[in-house]
Amino acid sequence: MTESPAGALERLAEATDASFPHLFAARERTEDALRDRRQKLSELEIDQDASVVLMGSWGRRELTGESDDDWLVILNGEERTDPRPGLDAVRGVVGDGERKPGAEGVFGVYAYSRHLAERIGLDQDDNKNLTRRMLLVLESVPAVGDDAYRKARAAVLDGYLDVSVRDFRPPRFLLNDTVRYWRTICVDFVGKERERGGEGWGLRNAKLRTSRKLLFASGLLPILECHKYTAAGMRTFLEAQLAAPPTDRVADAFLRHGAIDAGARALEAYDRFIGLLHHPPSRRSLKELSREEADESTVFAEARRIGGELEGSLLSLLFETDELRALVREFGIF
Amino acid sequence: MTVAEASPLDLLRGHHPVGASTGYMEEIRGDWPRLAAGAAQVSSLVVEFSALSEPELEGLVSFLTRGRPLPFRYVSVHAPTKRRRVPESSLVEALSHLPGWVSAIVTHPDVVQEPSAYSRLGRRLVLENLDARAPEGQQVELERLFESLPEAGFCLDIAHAWSVDPTMQLANELLDSYRNRLRHLHVSSLDPEHRHAPLTAEHAAAYEPVLARCRDVPWVLEAPLPAS
Repeated sequence: MTESPAGALERLAEATDASFPHLFAARERTEDALRDRRQKLSELEIDQDASVVLMGSWGRRELTGESDDDWLVILNGEERTDPRPGLDAVRGVVGDGERKPGAEGVFGVYAYSRHLAERIGLDQDDNKNLTRRMLLVLESVPAVGDDAYRKARAAVLDGYLDVSVRDFRPPRFLLNDTVRYWRTICVDFVGKERERGGEGWGLRNAKLRTSRKLLFASGLLPILECHKYTAAGMRTFLEAQLAAPPTDRVADAFLRHGAIDAGARALEAYDRFIGLLHHPPSRRSLKELSREEADESTVFAEARRIGGELEGSLLSLLFETDELRALVREFGIF
Repeated sequence: MTVAEASPLDLLRGHHPVGASTGYMEEIRGDWPRLAAGAAQVSSLVVEFSALSEPELEGLVSFLTRGRPLPFRYVSVHAPTKRRRVPESSLVEALSHLPGWVSAIVTHPDVVQEPSAYSRLGRRLVLENLDARAPEGQQVELERLFESLPEAGFCLDIAHAWSVDPTMQLANELLDSYRNRLRHLHVSSLDPEHRHAPLTAEHAAAYEPVLARCRDVPWVLEAPLPAS
């Protein structure tokens, strides 16, 4: 089995006669849109240590018709007053109109890689810092400034892979922060519901059951796989893993552990979810759905079913394959 | 202990999630609250409410739509296949009123007369392979129905597959053909009269390689758990 998970979704499709039409179409859509944004952003003046990074569905290579443009300008150097590119200039290319990033202020700003890498834990690691850091690691793609992007991500990984890491043992610090991020998303789901009075509940709930869960798994699995490497080898392994889209990382794990039937079903279910999100009436229906209306919605019922199928497959991978079962038991809970 | 050495009970308990079909709880048939409680004693995660006889369906729909919230995370309903009286379209109409959180509605290929009538059940419709006594419940018929009902899922009844082909090659072929349609399993042994019976050591050993391909989906027991 190749060390790089790139292309694992294709390999899983070939092994099982699955087609994953929505996922492959979304990848093409993402590549086309990335090419366009890269060309436009390359016309801006950009500091050598800066990168415009796209996150969320861009990073997952799952762009759908109404995806938000979640972006950051990541800077590797010291804090300064007028970095380039300017935020307004970037806004002219990404995140305009309906595609503007979410309302929490996580995106559409500058983020210093030093803050992401050094402020891990305690009060200084607020919700925004945690979110930016984890998304940089788990679901991001550079639009411009590829070298600066790689350095920023390496700095963050180095922030986790410190002297405490032992050979042939999953890196606890990174594992704990990844688990913390997933649980934070789950807790914040309720926080947002209370704060916003239920606005956008259906779509957020559907994503929590599917794309957020897949993202968590796509981070958890490579971290557990680190048990095969010396401390020195983990960074190379993780960089290769994290350079691939989350669906490749998850498909790769199913293939590595001989669970191809479950893997095909997991990605087939997720493929249906991407199809739902790309279907404007279904997405709108989810977006407008309240908790009270959920049991009456056929679209939500399908999203819930997809979430259940995806979860069942991921749980079988984690708990019913020999190697991962032992690792999850040893490191996954405490 | 290797899987081959595991007892049938170990094999079942080693999987997650396993649940019960209410179909084997004959003595409380029709008493849906007690059937739900009985199934929850096996597992509060998975259940299949079995309304195999058509007159049972109305009470089940009422129980599921008006009763108290249930603990189960995966709920399947076995649609009527016996004592059928109402027109097929009316039966499907009644099934369509099952709450949205019912994930699967299982039926048998040999009772589907007009496939298009079932299309309104969408992905919730699940077709089950039948035992050796039912020539119209085998792969040819399944294939024909899946062509007409592209969203329908598949329930592998592993005992039925064994009854047709004890080498389990058929079970593997069904999984190869319908891998991405698989929603859940029916697990049991069969007695000489083809009635579902608690899983035996012989069947556990025969089934194990097939079960290993289905670790991500719920396993519904069509007979009580075997003794330890």
